[in-house]
Amino acid sequence: MSFLERAVDTGSTALYLQRNYVIVRQLLARGLAEKGFILEPLSKAVEREWVRRMLWTALPEREVGLSGAFIYVPPGVSLRAPVSMCFVVSEGSQEVHNVLVVGEGSELVVLSTCTSAGKGTAHSGYTEIFLEKGARLDYVMIHSWTKETQVVAETGVIVGEGASFNDVYISLKSPHALRESTRIVVRRGGNVSASTLYLAGAGLSTLETIVALEGEGASAEVSSKIVATSGSLVSNPITVEAKAPNTRGHVECRGLQLSPNSVIVTIPALRSACAGSQLTHEAAIGKISEEELEYLMTKGFSEEEATSILVRGFLELGLKSVPEALKPQINSVLDLMAKFAAA
Amino acid sequence: MPRTRRITAEKLKEVMPSAYHRVVAMLLEVENLSVEVNGRIVVRGVNLAVERGEIHALLGPNGSGKTTLLRAIMGLPGYNVVEGRVLFEGRELNGLKPYERARLGIALMHQNPRPLSVKLSRLVREIGKRYGTSLDVLGDFALDSLMEREAFKGFSGGEAKKAELALTILQRPKLAMLDEPDSGVDLESLKLVGKAINKLAEEGAGILLVTHTGAIIEYLRRVARAHVIVHGRIVATGDVETLLEAVKRRGYAALARGELS
Repeated sequence: MSFLERAVDTGSTALYLQRNYVIVRQLLARGLAEKGFILEPLSKAVEREWVRRMLWTALPEREVGLSGAFIYVPPGVSLRAPVSMCFVVSEGSQEVHNVLVVGEGSELVVLSTCTSAGKGTAHSGYTEIFLEKGARLDYVMIHSWTKETQVVAETGVIVGEGASFNDVYISLKSPHALRESTRIVVRRGGNVSASTLYLAGAGLSTLETIVALEGEGASAEVSSKIVATSGSLVSNPITVEAKAPNTRGHVECRGLQLSPNSVIVTIPALRSACAGSQLTHEAAIGKISEEELEYLMTKGFSEEEATSILVRGFLELGLKSVPEALKPQINSVLDLMAKFAAA
Repeated sequence: MPRTRRITAEKLKEVMPSAYHRVVAMLLEVENLSVEVNGRIVVRGVNLAVERGEIHALLGPNGSGKTTLLRAIMGLPGYNVVEGRVLFEGRELNGLKPYERARLGIALMHQNPRPLSVKLSRLVREIGKRYGTSLDVLGDFALDSLMEREAFKGFSGGEAKKAELALTILQRPKLAMLDEPDSGVDLESLKLVGKAINKLAEEGAGILLVTHTGAIIEYLRRVARAHVIVHGRIVATGDVETLLEAVKRRGYAALARGELS
């Protein structure tokens, strides 16, 4: 089963698969449509005025067309079976703009998979996410790129009052140039958990996250785990800003260098504009220790197998919360990351 | 063409007891082994033989070479055999890497495993996968609350021993080398550790265990033999109770001077 098939095979009740600019598959269980759930191309969704008004309010406006998906969950609907979005670029460049709206008190799990095939391709993805009061979204992005791809991915999220956003970004194969940026605004009592697991191959990657705690009692826990292999240069700035009282934020950046020919730059930053906020960070970069390898070798693992186990363990510890329905997919991707890293 | 006949182990024991002993029962033979660590000879001319199902205890003061002997048998880097050899099931181990020895059936329970950046549950899964075992083999040795923690990170002495012994059992070893399974362990856990070691031996594993205090001995059903190591040499071999008593009364130095005999 290919990486893409594995990713799609999640028992989804809704699926959107786009190759370059062509929508290859678009499925929505009938029961969901009856409940008012919407899954359609953004170009169609913008026929509604309220959708048009939302565009480029969670991200700085870009000159991008209306290719991409629109997902809407009406208030009071809980959907724990994952909705799958897949984007494949196989020639030239692909620009997509996705918009997700989770209504008041609703719950949604999304698996977003992006991948490339072939050489000289470019993918630019802009995703805007709106969580209304008390909504919950588990948003799992799994990316795997061919080396010769250039990637720009920007995600803007507005976490409404008392809403909860669980963001998991996993990159299995990195392209030679990537700029990933996530900006999250958290309103009163909202909560964010963001985990990045990144296996860096040869190339330059910038992974930036900015969380603004704008409402009283908002909180965020941001964690990143970067595994750097030969020829990789990864820059990972993470900022949590407190702009309201009683806010809490924690940033954790960890880097694992498997090759002396790699560079990891972690920049955890805290900014408090309001007394009474509680912000903390920790960061560490290291390599696999000889003692850990030796220990595992006495348990019957070759050096390569031991490295793979240690990488797998390192990555796994970075996951704060994983939606139950996606655990098998995430586990199989982590297995592959550990295998690739050790090879 | 020479004729070959199949013979059962029981039949061999009956008709050729010495051949049975050599071929079937014998597990580990250490012959005149000397080991160098960081340019210093730490183990000197050690001879030792462990049969299947036997428990052997290694006694000795701190720094006498007990741990070095186990690590050299495991083939860890930095523990260089300068003389002698180690045979496992009749096969010479010199030159084999630690993981190759482990796959032959040799397990080392480390004295103080360093914390790993891996959840204990992941180690259990990976070791179980390699040796075809699962948590079921641990019986009342359940690890429960430790499973989702980083292995050995912040574990108490008893928790670390329990976890490390559990991982050793999961390897389903033919030879289990246990480095101080009784140090830093409370009485209740000591009982459990003893029970687990007895079970391993009953299932046919040879056990070579290092004990500094001898605390584990009273929980073991039958210790075949004990060896006292001082300054890298085995200075006395015999019944464990007798040797422990001698150590308590006279001290290791007296044993090293041959005063026991």
